[in-house]
Amino acid sequence: MLAFARETWYLGLRTLRRFLRVPANPISTVIFPLIQLVGFSQLFRDIIQLPGFAGQTSYLAYLAPGQIAFTVFLAVSWSGSNLLYDYRNGYLDKLRAAPIRRYSILAGELVPLGLECAAMAGVILLVSIALGASVATGFVGAVLILVLCAAFGVAWSGTSFLPALLTKNEQATGTLSILFFPLAFMSTAFVPVRLMPDWLQVLNAVNPISYVIEAARALMTTGYDWGAIGAAVVAIVLVGVVLQGATLLAFRRLTN
Amino acid sequence: MRAASLGPAIEVEGLVKVYPGGTRAVDGIDVAVGRGEFFAFLGPNGAGKTTTIRILTTLLRPTAGRARVLGLDVTERPGEVRRRIGFAMQTVALEGLATGRENLELMGRLHRVPGPDLRRRVDELLELMGLTAVSGKLAGTYSGGMRRRLDLATALVHRPDVLFLDEPTEGLDPQSRAALWQELARINREGTTMLLTTHYMEEADQLCPRLAIIDEGRIVVSGAPAELKRGIGADKVTIQLEAAEGEMTTRQDAVARLLDGFSPLQGLERTDEGVRLAVVDAATTVPDLLRRLDGDGIGVRALTMQHPSLDDVFLRYTGRHIRDEAADRPLEIGW
Repeated sequence: MLAFARETWYLGLRTLRRFLRVPANPISTVIFPLIQLVGFSQLFRDIIQLPGFAGQTSYLAYLAPGQIAFTVFLAVSWSGSNLLYDYRNGYLDKLRAAPIRRYSILAGELVPLGLECAAMAGVILLVSIALGASVATGFVGAVLILVLCAAFGVAWSGTSFLPALLTKNEQATGTLSILFFPLAFMSTAFVPVRLMPDWLQVLNAVNPISYVIEAARALMTTGYDWGAIGAAVVAIVLVGVVLQGATLLAFRRLTN
Repeated sequence: MRAASLGPAIEVEGLVKVYPGGTRAVDGIDVAVGRGEFFAFLGPNGAGKTTTIRILTTLLRPTAGRARVLGLDVTERPGEVRRRIGFAMQTVALEGLATGRENLELMGRLHRVPGPDLRRRVDELLELMGLTAVSGKLAGTYSGGMRRRLDLATALVHRPDVLFLDEPTEGLDPQSRAALWQELARINREGTTMLLTTHYMEEADQLCPRLAIIDEGRIVVSGAPAELKRGIGADKVTIQLEAAEGEMTTRQDAVARLLDGFSPLQGLERTDEGVRLAVVDAATTVPDLLRRLDGDGIGVRALTMQHPSLDDVFLRYTGRHIRDEAADRPLEIGW
């Protein structure tokens, strides 16, 4: 276990460096949520007067948790490509010929990915606060929001790792990232579930990102809603078990 | 030769590898490499060299047969094998977004080289490979030769007992190649057992006291390069004849008649400009040969002597030249 942690640490440092040394990585991740946060909070400023928004005092405060959570989708959309790149240029073989546990290689991708998600979501959180949003639960609540984002990011990254490992095709790595659009725009990021037509309400009930957004929104606007937080954790675990479970099998096959 | 009593560094018995598509890449290889030896697998592309070396470095499982490195079975105890070997692969595999030093440190960490020792070792390797000045630059900015040297260094950080080198000088210019040869020879002198695969005859010839020639998944012959070449028996003497236009054939006939019964002669082949002779011990026979030609009034424009090369050895055993086979395998495509 200690050896696994050690190997993950050193391989993780490499992954983090790779992310940080290409400025386009962090920039391209935060730019879309930033545009939405700034633009939509102005464009739909008066939407909170609709009855479904009962209790909300500013649309920015309502919108921010959704944009923070969306950052994660963008942070992981091409996450499988590192591993595929290593597979192509022989680095994966080099690691396989080294005396390490092979799952350290996968963990060395996923752990930094969680950190990247938290950091990028944190940027949007800070900008939201700068624009006038606040976090009702304070610093601890803010950390909890970022932890949820990191966990969801790691779980969701299976949508990139899985096609990458199964097809070994660079283009396939980002294909499923378009799931972002239906999931994001039909979630409760923009309007409360009460304002949705019935069929969207049904879809929303199985939309994992909505649970993460609702938990984050509670932490930002009202307080520790353990029901919402618990539901988010369950959603993340379900997504994680399915997607990362399959990723693990595909990784095993690739490295055999 | 240290610790010879411990048995060979590499032992391969009846090794076979059949790929899922049915390709029989390795077709029954037996070989033993002693501790401290510098041994080569020489053969054309696609001969099975890379497959063999990938089995020995635990990256591939053999279909049949067994392979041991330092007495450890590579399929049964891959972890222990990995701790004690270094592998410089055919394709240079580096982290381009890490500096030269960071690349070395990472491999050292993964091989559990302790901190203070690692620092010293990394400095030493950077110096050895002439990379000290660029050690803080991203490896992605290095030239081809520098990348090769850094890659080789990453295989040496943990002072492996056995170093595997798959086409280590592929794609290098002649100067970089010669420099790397010196480096490899030095690493070997310091006690590391080396197994190299190459399709460059000069490389195997220069570096390795013993080698195996591989073709179509089998070892066709093995031994010391000098011995193998001696086994060919004859040197090559190429003679350009003086001949007026249209008279070359009669000249060649005259040479053939004149040398009929000349005992060192083992073969005569006509070329566009004269003849090519296979002669035992050319250095001592050529003066006599020239006297005979001169005595018969046959003018010689130029004469070159050549000792047999490893390519001649390859030709003798396979009927083909090593480089005939530019059998580049097709790229692997996804899906």
